[in-house]
Amino acid sequence: MIKKILVAALATSLSFAGAAAAFAQDAGKVGVVVKIGGIPWFNAMEAGIKERGQKLGIDAFMVGPTSADPALQVRAIEDLIAQGVKVIGVVPNDAKVLEPVLTKAKEKGIIVITHESPSQKGADWDFELASSTGFGEAHGKLLAEKMGGKGEYAVFVGSLTVPLHNAWADAAIAYIKKNHPDMTLVGERYGVAEDVDKSRSTALDLISAHPNLKGFLAFGSQGPIGAGRAVEERRKVGEIFVLGPFSPGQGQKLVKSDAISGGFMWNPKQAGEVFVTLADKLMKGEEVKDGDEIEGLGKVKPDFENRNIIVDQLVPINKDTVADLAAMGL
Amino acid sequence: MTGFSERLKGWFGPEMAGPGLALVAVILVFGLVSPQFLSAATFGSVAFQLPELGLLTLAMLLPILTGGLNLAVTFTANIAGLTLAWVLQANGGADAGAGAFALGCVLAVMVGAASGVVMGLVIAFTRAHPILVSLSMMIFLRGLGEFLTRGGDVSGFPAFIGPLGHGSIAGIPVPLIVFIICVLAWHLLLTRTKLGFNTYMIGSNLEATRYSGINTRKVIVLVYTLSGAMCAIAGIIMLARFNSVRIGHGESYLLITVLACFLGGVNPFGGFGRVIPVFVALVVLQLLSSGLNLIGANQHLATAVWGLLLVGVMVLRFAASKFKISFVRKGT
Repeated sequence: MIKKILVAALATSLSFAGAAAAFAQDAGKVGVVVKIGGIPWFNAMEAGIKERGQKLGIDAFMVGPTSADPALQVRAIEDLIAQGVKVIGVVPNDAKVLEPVLTKAKEKGIIVITHESPSQKGADWDFELASSTGFGEAHGKLLAEKMGGKGEYAVFVGSLTVPLHNAWADAAIAYIKKNHPDMTLVGERYGVAEDVDKSRSTALDLISAHPNLKGFLAFGSQGPIGAGRAVEERRKVGEIFVLGPFSPGQGQKLVKSDAISGGFMWNPKQAGEVFVTLADKLMKGEEVKDGDEIEGLGKVKPDFENRNIIVDQLVPINKDTVADLAAMGL
Repeated sequence: MTGFSERLKGWFGPEMAGPGLALVAVILVFGLVSPQFLSAATFGSVAFQLPELGLLTLAMLLPILTGGLNLAVTFTANIAGLTLAWVLQANGGADAGAGAFALGCVLAVMVGAASGVVMGLVIAFTRAHPILVSLSMMIFLRGLGEFLTRGGDVSGFPAFIGPLGHGSIAGIPVPLIVFIICVLAWHLLLTRTKLGFNTYMIGSNLEATRYSGINTRKVIVLVYTLSGAMCAIAGIIMLARFNSVRIGHGESYLLITVLACFLGGVNPFGGFGRVIPVFVALVVLQLLSSGLNLIGANQHLATAVWGLLLVGVMVLRFAASKFKISFVRKGT
């Protein structure tokens, strides 16, 4: 009896299969796989993807794996391929792991766009909203402005082995050296900026040791917060300026009290929008050309050899913007 | 003819009721909700995703049948994968030949088996609980792997390995073929060999088995060795699929392998459970997660649905066994 039901059920489901195949390919869908779901950064990105998708009339959605395991990203992409999407967007956890599956997607005629993974193999295009030189120089420039072009400053990075932070620091220091010879770097760079307490105590030590210290440049999410607290504790607000990228929600109070002068970040929501805008453009068969004006990216200068589109769409974090950014949950 | 119906009964035993019904339910529900679900592409995607998780589940199955557990499966797989990766790198990286690959595979399986031997020996001779022993092994392997690779990944393999993870022979994905061979091997091992019989016996009652003159220590060591070797095969497939090895790859699979075993009707205390229902359970889990992806559900929801499914199957199984007993009574 049970077996008969099973057979009948299977038979019906198989007949559905035949009917379903006809519907399988509909208007172009865009699926974006991010590093991990449910964190503010990627929630903002999802909002961008959804909004832009609605505006352009594209079915665009985000897939956020439950943990940052690259294996889960591979699975999500396999499922997107099966789903028959036209465009796959990825923010890779591990560039190498995704190579084979992205190549497979491309073989199936799917357009692949990546973000935060320059020169990704298997991608049609990678886009970045901040170049490492642009990002570093923007901070260097702002610090010079605040310090009036002279005085001593110290640099924090997340760790001496984080390539990105050190590239930012290199660019900022090089910019200052070239344009503001009166500003001098104190000591070497300190690898403390992923830890609030270490940043705070290092900043306190440096303030004591260098009475002429006028600025902190901290690359690493916790560095500006820790240094800002130290400046506040020593009542040096307005004399010592703290700059760097940080989470607006976390640093909101310190920005309002001027303990942190500001910094730059890039907007994940904008990145989400760019995913959809680029997908739309490529789906229509348009090519990305030198000097193109693309919404969200501005005027682009694509690197055709490595398939990178790198622009500097930096969002300043300061007294005026911090509340809005924090309200986005960032 | 009777032989055939007997065999059918053997395949669709009581353990099969839960996963079998779940399979039909999943296919029906998603088939109705999403028109794309019942397409060749979905099943292709499932077929490629199934093997790595499936091989790890097979590695988990044997220890569970003896009433134990092997929490080190994922890290054993990656250590074995790393072994293969280093052999390939030592022989020219991307230019390494087939010989190096074969040597690497043999060494990888040996490394996997060695980790199993150590666990088996400790469990058999100290009588420490398998959870503790395999947890220690898991932490050790993870630390060792992180130390040796500094947390990074090893990559740059010859091109001919790619098809092992992504190729197809006659339309059937290569990793799936490997997986099905392993399923059949495990099925034969458990139903046709002395070791398989003894595995069930130990899971049912260790002391009674020992008093019947069976060298239970030897069996336990062998079970964990085979489990480790199966991890190594999973590691080799993962290497080919991910094009790189990192000690943390597939970390999230660990508990899912346990889930798949229980869903497949394996008794958590050991002694009962068969390979084919576990295979069906894996298909169900994979269809469920692919199906949810297809209709665009939140990934976190998939985890919740897996949990619900497990509870549902437990209830169904209980109901099925009641029904069967009353049915048999009425029949006689």
